[in-house]
Amino acid sequence: MTIPSPAYIEGVTVLSQERLTDDVYRLSVETTTGGAPGQFYMVRAWDREPLLARPISIHSVAEDTVSFLYQVRGTGTELLARLEQGGTVALTGPLGHGFRTEELRGRIAIVTGGIGIAPMFCLARTLPPGDVTVIAGFKSRPYAVAQLLDLGVDVRVATEDGSDGTRGFCTAIFDPHAYDTVVTCGPTPMMARVAQLCAETGAPCQASLEAHMACGVGACLVCSCPTVQGNQRVCADGPVFDAAEVIWHA
Amino acid sequence: MLDTTLCGVTLKNPVIAASGTFGFGAEYGGYFDVGKLGGICTKGLTLRPREGNPGLRVWETPAGMMNSVGLQNPGIPTFLERELPRMRTLGTAIIANVGGGDLEEYVEGVRLLSNAEGVDIVELNISCPNVHEGGMAFGVNSDVAAGVVTAVRCVCSKPLMVKLSPNAENITAMAIACEQAGADAVSLVNTFKALAVDINARKAVFDNVTAGLSGPCIKPIALRMVWEVARAIHIPVVGIGGIATWQDALEFIMAGATAVQVGTATFVRPTAMLDIVGGLERYCANEHLTSLATVRNILGTVPKL
Repeated sequence: MTIPSPAYIEGVTVLSQERLTDDVYRLSVETTTGGAPGQFYMVRAWDREPLLARPISIHSVAEDTVSFLYQVRGTGTELLARLEQGGTVALTGPLGHGFRTEELRGRIAIVTGGIGIAPMFCLARTLPPGDVTVIAGFKSRPYAVAQLLDLGVDVRVATEDGSDGTRGFCTAIFDPHAYDTVVTCGPTPMMARVAQLCAETGAPCQASLEAHMACGVGACLVCSCPTVQGNQRVCADGPVFDAAEVIWHA
Repeated sequence: MLDTTLCGVTLKNPVIAASGTFGFGAEYGGYFDVGKLGGICTKGLTLRPREGNPGLRVWETPAGMMNSVGLQNPGIPTFLERELPRMRTLGTAIIANVGGGDLEEYVEGVRLLSNAEGVDIVELNISCPNVHEGGMAFGVNSDVAAGVVTAVRCVCSKPLMVKLSPNAENITAMAIACEQAGADAVSLVNTFKALAVDINARKAVFDNVTAGLSGPCIKPIALRMVWEVARAIHIPVVGIGGIATWQDALEFIMAGATAVQVGTATFVRPTAMLDIVGGLERYCANEHLTSLATVRNILGTVPKL
């Protein structure tokens, strides 16, 4: 797969904004810049404040559209959530190294926590649906599950409040022995647990990390993550890493 | 029109990428022709590789950001072998920024960098607030700073620019001390030592407790410091601190700066420096200036009230 070279573009038109739950939204913008599963964009929907753009993973890509699934966490994402059709954003991207899809084979588990499900629609679309099981954990009401089911993949849901699927964490319904390769994205303690389970069975696991960023392109070194190969830049060396190489409890 | 001579080195224009915000010049190559810049300051280099600080390294503030990178770098020998040859193809002046944990590390670092072909200017970093030993420890007291500058001057075969900390006890005395110790230029300011508290966790946001503040919020203070220093010394001053637009750059030039460095603004808008160069060109054309020297250092002295 060829990775498109990143660009900085202002005045990118918002095609749609959907509110999926209280604090989760799906934003689609008109751009041909594309991107691979697991890559992200630095997104900006304001002039001066906040100062920095926000790194948001690619949820889906079409020829002239990129969509983001995001959760409102603070000032930046609150401003993103206020965008309406016809509004504009500035984008830098697509950025980073995404999932190594060529290494995903056999029975594939995609284990996600909360908004960590965001990059998985884009990824699942590139995989044979019959081989993929998505194990998705949510605090409460699930989101972005129906479109995965539409792809024909198996989706298993866990919710912390028991409002849907199995009550509890997704890691409790993830049996690492049942899969040959694993992909994970979500809160760090959850990914650390998935990485540990995979280490026990020897299943290769790719983890997509989240970090506060400033430049997003590998220049400033503020998003570094400790790995067995030393500090790596989440933005440029990742965001997807071999879970066995990440030092999870640094 | 924007040609600028900085301690004997000719720059295409007075807009330089600030250390630590532009890597070694490769990361932004896909967004614009970095050869159009006046120069690039490398990520802060030390003789030995450094992993930098653990924990969270960035925190946003109103009109600014705090960082606690802590001089993560591959070490000077690796820089010379892997990064410098590629940097030399970029077509812009190369300013090697060097830090150190102790005097010997500074001296050996400066010796290696200044002897390297392709390095145009050495920028001595005595102003990093994010490392315990070294860095800013040398940049607070003028006598201590003069000792470092004197020591590295002896081994520095290229123009030597000293990057000053706004956390110096007395920024003007500091600049004078550096000039007297043999500096060819000073650049100021590095980041302001600052604090953020996580009220939910009831602890400092950063493992190192304090971190360096940059961005538009520091600009008026940085500008005042540049103005004070430019008045007090005879060597060139390079202005740094929250510059995001060509108007900001011009303010620093009018306050006495020969050139400017831009850092945080590049994170906000990858092409910020190109826009600043373009804006300065248009300004000169509109004002019928053949050189920015006409408007440099035009604010006068401290008024006696």
